[in-house]
Amino acid sequence: MNTQRISAIFEKDLKDFMKNMMLLMMPIIPIVLAVVYSRLGEGEELPLVVIYIVVGVIFSAVTTSIMMTMMAEENEKKTLRGLMLSPASFLDIIIGKSLVTGLMTLITLVISFSIIGFGPILNIYTIIGLFLLFLFFLFLGIGIGLFSKSIASTSAYMMPVMFLFGFTPMIEFLGLPEGSFGLKLADNFPLMQVMKVSDTGSWLPLGVVTIWVIGAALFTLICFKKTKTDD
Amino acid sequence: MTSFKINNQNEKNEILPQFTLDLDEANITAVHSDMELQAELINTLMHESGISVFDMKEGLYERLTVEDNIAFYHKWFECKIPIAEVLVLFDLQACVKKVLKKCTRSEQRRVYFAKYYMTNTHPKVFVEPIHGVDIKTTNTFLTLLEQFKKYNIPTLILVSNMEHALLLGNVAYKLNEKGLHEIEVESSDSEPIDEGQAFTPSTVKLFKIPAKVDDKVILFDPLEIDYIESQDGKSMIVINDTSYAMDATLAETEKTLEIYGFFRCHRSYIVNLQKVREIITWSKNTYSLRIDNRVQSTIPLSRTKIQDIQEMFNLK
Repeated sequence: MNTQRISAIFEKDLKDFMKNMMLLMMPIIPIVLAVVYSRLGEGEELPLVVIYIVVGVIFSAVTTSIMMTMMAEENEKKTLRGLMLSPASFLDIIIGKSLVTGLMTLITLVISFSIIGFGPILNIYTIIGLFLLFLFFLFLGIGIGLFSKSIASTSAYMMPVMFLFGFTPMIEFLGLPEGSFGLKLADNFPLMQVMKVSDTGSWLPLGVVTIWVIGAALFTLICFKKTKTDD
Repeated sequence: MTSFKINNQNEKNEILPQFTLDLDEANITAVHSDMELQAELINTLMHESGISVFDMKEGLYERLTVEDNIAFYHKWFECKIPIAEVLVLFDLQACVKKVLKKCTRSEQRRVYFAKYYMTNTHPKVFVEPIHGVDIKTTNTFLTLLEQFKKYNIPTLILVSNMEHALLLGNVAYKLNEKGLHEIEVESSDSEPIDEGQAFTPSTVKLFKIPAKVDDKVILFDPLEIDYIESQDGKSMIVINDTSYAMDATLAETEKTLEIYGFFRCHRSYIVNLQKVREIITWSKNTYSLRIDNRVQSTIPLSRTKIQDIQEMFNLK
């Protein structure tokens, strides 16, 4: 790890982010959603499900999407060729990009919650939960970014991530019978578990989310190994 | 930094012949070959010797300005030379705030040069560095080569254009199926060109220059010819981008064509002075002639010949 290289990548990607319309639009989606929902609620406190739909959209549309778009663009334009003199410098690139993604996620979270109210998340359990969720979505983004060869292909990968992990709380609206397999499965998804943390304030769901994070980290590792052997 | 040796003894490679090439740190080595051999050589260099090759095929950050690009590479490669100095060295100070996407091809090329300059790998291998760029950029590249020479960094340049090989390299080689052959770059120590001998063409009956194409013999009017170059000891008449082999050697041709206004401007070149449009002076005291033909070819002009040509055009 080399802090100078990490900061070089961080500065470069931050400047690039500001000039990239495609990436700049991403944080707008959850913020608009937050505005719409807060208007619908007419001053009353929003139900937890709605808040977590906004959280899910933030993590999937901002964290995962920005990360994989940035990596896919470097792959597509081959801009990293000549920069990677050792495997360590690849780690620097990923860390630098993760910092940009993290910053953008944080900004979007703060803006969105200042619209819908900080109330439901201001406790230590939820904050840890949100941090774990960030890691989970970040690893997904890195993993997908490693093997996507073009920006166009990221929109295809984006869809399943968004629907499976970003919109999980919406499964309630599907009208599945109580106790069905689908509901039980969805109940164990990371976003649902963090929702449970906010609701009950117990530690157990955090353990489940940690397992998801480890799973996502393994997925990233496998993608990394695979792209290394491909080259 | 020591000299670098490239050794290709791979018998399985059907295209590339076996050869050994010493990259001397005091010299810039240029290798001239056709595209196919060049691609094969690059492949060998990258995959077997693990050398990074600068072919300008990787992308730069198009949305960022020239300055942002340079600043990023500067920080990434931990370059010790101040950014301002790098910008001046590559003549980029006029377009620092320009977004790279909007820069001209030549400006973008100079950003690539700056990137490669800051890359701390050696030896430096360039592929077609000055193909299709303006004179300013070519001059920048020559300055860059001077820097490499100063810091004793072995440098190899791969080109498919003989003029570029002679302009850029101190040592030039020609690579073909048979192997690697050195081309003499400077004519200062060359064969005595018998200028002193009063050579008067006995007859002026010779109005046409014969050249062979397959089985046919084509007769050229001397005034059509752009220039004549020597390739592997044979003289080739060049008209636009086609060349025709002739039987005579360059020295013989020089004598017969002298009265038609032809001039031996380089060891391997005779130029039709009527067709010279421009005398280009590069930064490191090297010269080229630009021919007024369709492809605007440039041919090398020896340092020792510049005097003669200036006299001829009454430039003194």
